Amino acid sequence: MTSSDPDLHTLAGAYVLDAVGPDERARFAAHLADCAECRQDVRELREAASRLGTAAALRPRPDLRDQTIQAASRISQVGPVLQNGANGKSDGRRAVHIRSWLTFPRLALAAALVAIAGAVGVVLVGRGSPAPQQGHMITSVLKASDAVMLTAKISSGGMATVVISHHEHMGVFMAHDLPALPAAERYELWLMGPRGDRPAGMLRTRRGMAGPALLVQVTRGDKIGLTIEPASGSPRPTSAMLVLIGPNSRP
Amino acid sequence: MTDGDFLAGPDSGPRPRAGAARLDDLLPAVARGDDRAYEALYDLASGWVLGVARKVLRDPAQAEEVMQEVLLEIWRTASRFDPALGSGTSWVMTLAHRRAVDRVRSERSHVTRELRSAVAVIDYDEVAEAVEASLDRERVQRCLTSLTELQQECVRLAYYGGYTYREVAELLGVPAGTVKTRMRDGLIRLRDCLGVQ
Repeated sequence: MTSSDPDLHTLAGAYVLDAVGPDERARFAAHLADCAECRQDVRELREAASRLGTAAALRPRPDLRDQTIQAASRISQVGPVLQNGANGKSDGRRAVHIRSWLTFPRLALAAALVAIAGAVGVVLVGRGSPAPQQGHMITSVLKASDAVMLTAKISSGGMATVVISHHEHMGVFMAHDLPALPAAERYELWLMGPRGDRPAGMLRTRRGMAGPALLVQVTRGDKIGLTIEPASGSPRPTSAMLVLIGPNSRP
Repeated sequence: MTDGDFLAGPDSGPRPRAGAARLDDLLPAVARGDDRAYEALYDLASGWVLGVARKVLRDPAQAEEVMQEVLLEIWRTASRFDPALGSGTSWVMTLAHRRAVDRVRSERSHVTRELRSAVAVIDYDEVAEAVEASLDRERVQRCLTSLTELQQECVRLAYYGGYTYREVAELLGVPAGTVKTRMRDGLIRLRDCLGVQ
């Protein structure tokens, strides 16, 4: 069905063992986006290969511990963005139709934030929950004094809600009544703005509900977009924007 | 009498099976800058990372450097760990192995490659400095011996030797396509023997 050579399919073992050259590594990584079976293969074989590594464990010199931990404390961390899309750029802005949007009056906003915070609480408690590490950053967005909430219809179905704090440089995205996708596809979030269009993470959905998902490195002028992409994610949008929300989208 | 820090079992050498679930929990905490979690992660994973770096690089000083680089990379990019795509152990070990392999490939000259190929196969069972023989270690060794001889050589030369499948084909005098297939078959057999999902 695809034009990719059948040879590529057998490369999973060599790929997992890092026994491929840079070109083949890139080609196979691209192939993974289209091949759910290969992704499953790679995931399982990688667990096995990693045991070859852990079985070789050595005890490091004790002085390396403090040295490394102190070095880490001087290094800043990156936000949860897609690795392969970190430098994804696009200068052509898409003409996307915003079906509807509204900003909430202050009181409604406060009430909604409480509701969202409740959802965050559930997320933090539930096991296997979507990205629990983000809970505390999500709370700081919701609590930010400059938090703005925007809601818009998703063209393929469902509603999206975004809370943005420029003070925190972060946002939170939530959606409900999202149509289910085939296994090979997932919803992907985008930040689209003056700094270029960047991937902002894959959205996990459960029974049509998605989020709260954290958006980091949000810059003034950014809008939040949503597309359907191959399950492994894309460095730039490959399908139509289903929604595009942002503070500057006032008609 | 403990200080309540039940995360660090006093007798624990790195134990992947017990540690795996913990690493899955530690990485998200590290992603939000939790120092204590990073220390726990270091205690859990630094020995694994050093071990694989040493296997591939063979040079203790370089292996230590790679270990530190990888541990810092984990700190920096922990937010990119996605449990839906695999375990924390496999995420960490993929970073570690790839870093070690990239380094050895950029450095070794043709001559040293030849020399290393001669030793890569035979000294995999070195025990000096190894952490206490764990059940896990024995199990992996036992499972490796359940592979055919060619599968074993292909997997070992690639994972511990840092060779590409084309180089392995050349070293063993076997067609590259065969090596590719044996690597996959070998890992599948290893996976089934270890019972990993």
